[in-house]
Formats: sequence, C-alpha cells, structure tokens
Amino acid sequence: MEITMYHYLSIGLLLFLIGLLGSVIVKNVIKVLISIEIMLLGVNINFITFAAFCDNMKFDGYVISLFYVGLGAVELAVALYLFYLMYQKKESDCIERFNEL
Amino acid sequence: MIDNPVIFYLSSAFIIVFALLCLFAKNVVYSLLSSVVVFFFGALFFYVLGSEYNAIIQAAIYGFAVPVLIGLSIMFGGEKTKNKTKRTFAFYLPLFAGIFILAFVYLTMMSLVIMPDTFRASEVLQVNAFDTIRTFARALFIDYVWAFELVSLLLTIVIAGIGMLRVHKKGRSRV
Repeated sequence: MEITMYHYLSIGLLLFLIGLLGSVIVKNVIKVLISIEIMLLGVNINFITFAAFCDNMKFDGYVISLFYVGLGAVELAVALYLFYLMYQKKESDCIERFNEL
Repeated sequence: MIDNPVIFYLSSAFIIVFALLCLFAKNVVYSLLSSVVVFFFGALFFYVLGSEYNAIIQAAIYGFAVPVLIGLSIMFGGEKTKNKTKRTFAFYLPLFAGIFILAFVYLTMMSLVIMPDTFRASEVLQVNAFDTIRTFARALFIDYVWAFELVSLLLTIVIAGIGMLRVHKKGRSRV
C-alpha cells in the first residue's frame, strides 16, 4: 500500500478540523489557544506535503511553513499575555466572560 | 521522503487520538501534555516528508518552548471553569478511539500483506540533510530575505510591545 499525497493531506485536514472544533466548542482559553496551534499544525502539514510531492526543487512550501512556525509562536505569546491581563481582571479562564476589552 | 505505511498509520493514529484528547481532557495540564505529543508527531510527519529542518524547528519551538509558555500561563491562571462538554464526549471519545484503533490495525495488517518488506531499515535511513539545509539557507537569506526580515521585525515589535504593556500596567497600578 503506497502512501500518496492525499494521505498526508487527509491528516492535515483532520487536524485542521479538530482544531476548528476545539476553538468553537471549548470554553477554556488555554484549550482554545492549543486548538489554534493544532489548526496551524494541520496547515503546516499541508504546506510541507505539497512541497514534498509537487515542488521538490524549490522548497517554497518548506520555507513558508518555517515562517508559519515563527508567526504562530508570536501569536501564541501575544495571546497568552492578553489572557494573563484578562484573567487578572475577570478572575476566570472561561472565554464567555471575556466579552469586553 | 520515507514511504513507510506502518510509520504513517501509527503516527496518524497517535496524532489524531492525542489531538482529540487535547480538546476533551478533564484537566488543562493533561491537555497541554497531549498537545506536546501532537506537536512531536507533527515533527515526525515533517521528517517523514523529507524536511528535517522543519522537523527540528517544530520540535524545538512547539515541543519545548510553547508548552513552557502555556504551562506558565496555567500556573498564573488556574482552573476554575469546568468544561461542560466533557460529559458528552466521555462516552463518544472511547468509542471513536476504539473504531480508529481497529481501522489502524486493519490497515497495518493489509499493508504488511501487500508490502511485506515494510520494515526495511535502509529505506528509513535515507535522508538528504545537507541538501535540505543548503536549500533552506539559500531560500531564507537570498530568495525570501525580505520575508525573513519582516518576520524578524515582527518578533522585535512583539517583544517591545509586551514590554511596553507591562510598563504601562505597572505605572497605572501605582496610580
């Protein structure tokens, strides 16, 4: 049984859907952030899959995936700091209570 | 690229199960630990797809640095909110995990029947690390140098912004 590009794309899609599901239904802010990171991981797997199977000479997908990792870490740092500030104000980590800036 | 069905199906099963555990775990610390497993298996996917550099970056940033950040925020925060969705999924999660494990065992057995030499070590050891790193260096510092500088600038702005927020908050709390 040969592993084709569609197998990897399916895994990327599944991870993206799991992250989307978590970011919609979960109430905890930390879990929402982890879900967003899982979505980013699914997108990265798609980028690298396309780079490995379709663009094996220029490595564009690999480099874009690298930028995504950096931007994802930045986004997580900013989001965690905002969560820290909101937690100090609201004394809760439920995302439904964070309805004002 | 390593074209091995056993590695693919095994890592796929683990990454899906731990991603679901990450969402529906009772304790947020367990969710964090599950996310570490998910990120490491993501790095394994990158390695299997032939991108060792991305695998190292993924394991270093998402496997070590990001969990430390999230763990610190859990320490500062705490867990007061109960997850209302956990009761619903406490029944469905083992059911879907069982179905997935059965499907995984079936696919593994089928792959062993169709391709008996799946565990060839020589295939696993074929890596092209030198070419990958050279190509990455060329892409980062020549082809995509402006994007690289832009990301560096963004990182600097984020660090400065968080520092300024902290200073502003300190000054306001003193007043």
